[in-house]
Amino acid sequence: MMKIKCAWMYHDIMDLYGDKGNIMTLQKRAKERGIDFEYRTVGIGEPADLSEFDLVFMGGGADKEQEALIPDLLSRKENIQKALDEKTFFLLICGGYQLFGQYYETANHDKVPGLQFADYYTATGKGRSRCIGNIVIDATLDGETLRLIGFENHGGQTENVAHPLGKVVHGNGNAFNAGYEGYYDGRILGTYLHGPLLPKNGELADFVLSKAIQKKNPDFKRQDLAPIDNPWEEPARKALLERFHLNENPEQM
Amino acid sequence: MSKLSILAAKVSYSLLSLAGRGGSLPGSIALKLDPNSLKGLKFNGPVILVTGTNGKTSTANMISSLFEKAGKKVVSNRKGDNLKAGITSVLLQNAKGNGEVDADVVVLEVDELNVRHVLPYLPVSAFVVNNFFRDQLDRAREMEQLIESIEGVLPEYTGTLILNGNDPNTVRLALKAPKAKARYFGIDRNKYSFTESKEASEGKFCPVCGHRLEYDYYQYSHIGRFHCPNCGFASPSMEVLLKDIDLNRQTFLFNDKKFKGPYEGMYSMYNYAAVLAVLDQFNLPMAAFEKMLKDAPRPAGRNERFKKDGKEVILNLVKNPTGANEVMKVIERDGTQKAVVIVLNDHEQDGTDVSWIYDTQFEKFMNPQTECVICSGTRAGDMALRMYYGGYKGDLSIEPDIEAAVRKAAEKADTVYVAATYTALLPSRKAIGKVMG
Repeated sequence: MMKIKCAWMYHDIMDLYGDKGNIMTLQKRAKERGIDFEYRTVGIGEPADLSEFDLVFMGGGADKEQEALIPDLLSRKENIQKALDEKTFFLLICGGYQLFGQYYETANHDKVPGLQFADYYTATGKGRSRCIGNIVIDATLDGETLRLIGFENHGGQTENVAHPLGKVVHGNGNAFNAGYEGYYDGRILGTYLHGPLLPKNGELADFVLSKAIQKKNPDFKRQDLAPIDNPWEEPARKALLERFHLNENPEQM
Repeated sequence: MSKLSILAAKVSYSLLSLAGRGGSLPGSIALKLDPNSLKGLKFNGPVILVTGTNGKTSTANMISSLFEKAGKKVVSNRKGDNLKAGITSVLLQNAKGNGEVDADVVVLEVDELNVRHVLPYLPVSAFVVNNFFRDQLDRAREMEQLIESIEGVLPEYTGTLILNGNDPNTVRLALKAPKAKARYFGIDRNKYSFTESKEASEGKFCPVCGHRLEYDYYQYSHIGRFHCPNCGFASPSMEVLLKDIDLNRQTFLFNDKKFKGPYEGMYSMYNYAAVLAVLDQFNLPMAAFEKMLKDAPRPAGRNERFKKDGKEVILNLVKNPTGANEVMKVIERDGTQKAVVIVLNDHEQDGTDVSWIYDTQFEKFMNPQTECVICSGTRAGDMALRMYYGGYKGDLSIEPDIEAAVRKAAEKADTVYVAATYTALLPSRKAIGKVMG
């Protein structure tokens, strides 16, 4: 039986906006394929070797709570580098995404250093303004383009993103009217999309599963996962796509 | 205070009443004419503000009723809205030409984000705060900013704070109000108290020093007896402490006397405690409290029951994970075969972000007793997807028409629970009326 080991970082702090729905989705979609999806949570001060996991997930948190975990996260920097080198896949939402960059600025203008695994950095929105609303992006992932739907809610304005995850079709993205959203470099997928992200984007969930499986089976592809009979994703997506006069066909980048 | 603004509000109110409207528009007009409309008003008695995420409507209504049962004339915004303009409307409509509000007591429910626009402009005698939870975060932004906006107007406040002593987010307010007196209400450890919280919760960290808080016990969500092992910030001693809670009988003990309340759930117990703290503060007779409980109307959409031919439909408003989790517990406690209808809308007043459904434990009723779940509303698909990923194994379907959904549910089971978001509540009520009428 195929097995995926997932570490859910700071699950009790970084759980804004239903981010736990992402774990539920991965678990269910793995189980439907007979894959054993095992996750453990890693909190502040809990020892864990992240390189032993196939997948690491981190969601978003409120400013104040997020600051409490910074020293613990930074103390894991070498271990995270090791995990990245050994092809552990990182799925990061909102705060988790910001913390992998150079730094982020809180709404009170404190500059909080990040893990600096990528060149991007995050400034705060002018006058405490926030990018809030439904968002649709066309994401390019290892050569295929997927139309993703989510909900963004962030004051942070992320700049200097070398490899965005995708092009914004409706909504803001990395910053007000940024045109581009998220970050993807083959090992780290960072995005502002809540909603939560994965339930309405089953293909992306499968892509994440396949990236996790690739750690031990490098030739594994998303298409190797058997189709799932889930009649509810289509109406959930359709309600929003129709509202924005969009269809299911992504624009090719 | 200009007589003009009072006059304008009164005239516009009469005109709007004729046109079948009203609400906050007279207040908006008055505030345009005179931004200080509230400041010049005169009051003959206490002014009480009530805020918090959950339960402020029920609590404010009970406080109004409490004073009425004690024989006082009360002006409240029971029928109006809880934003500054709506509050201004209500006060100006009840003001005489000299700016004197014609009431013994004024009781106002205030939206959390509007406290800073209302509290500094009125001679507030008591400021009641129930709790703070995640609620429509796309509108309210993050909790922290919301609480800070209230803390910002407290340094000059000289009245009494009446605070939930089991919520670190409300207890912290007293620290910012050096000129105010603080009194606390809460609930003692009881058979429902638990020591590990699995529910979505705020207030994991001490608001004073940032250290992780420890809890002796939780009552629900992050509400319970807490302390900070680092700086000593803790649940204070309570002026009003309810004991021996029985949620099935809806009873509690206060000062060794047993009371039976009209509303279900642990959160309602906190509302009673808040009302008793007000009673205590203003030396009202206990008989008024008993009368109030006896005559309390059941607010629309709070376990509202509709019966016909051996069938029963129970309607509940769901608006955020904490409130919704309490509704889930009510459904879970009912062991009969049942059908569930969930109407999920994402209009402005519902909150345009529906992610809260993943912070809500719908799993509580995902059992063989729940024969079917029917999803409706503008985001019915998201709701069905939530049930799918939650592992619901019964009959799941989408029915865009609410009436058809209720009818179908009533055919499947004799007991039907309908959970509706804010803008779906009245349409759901209407649909139930048609099916059960």
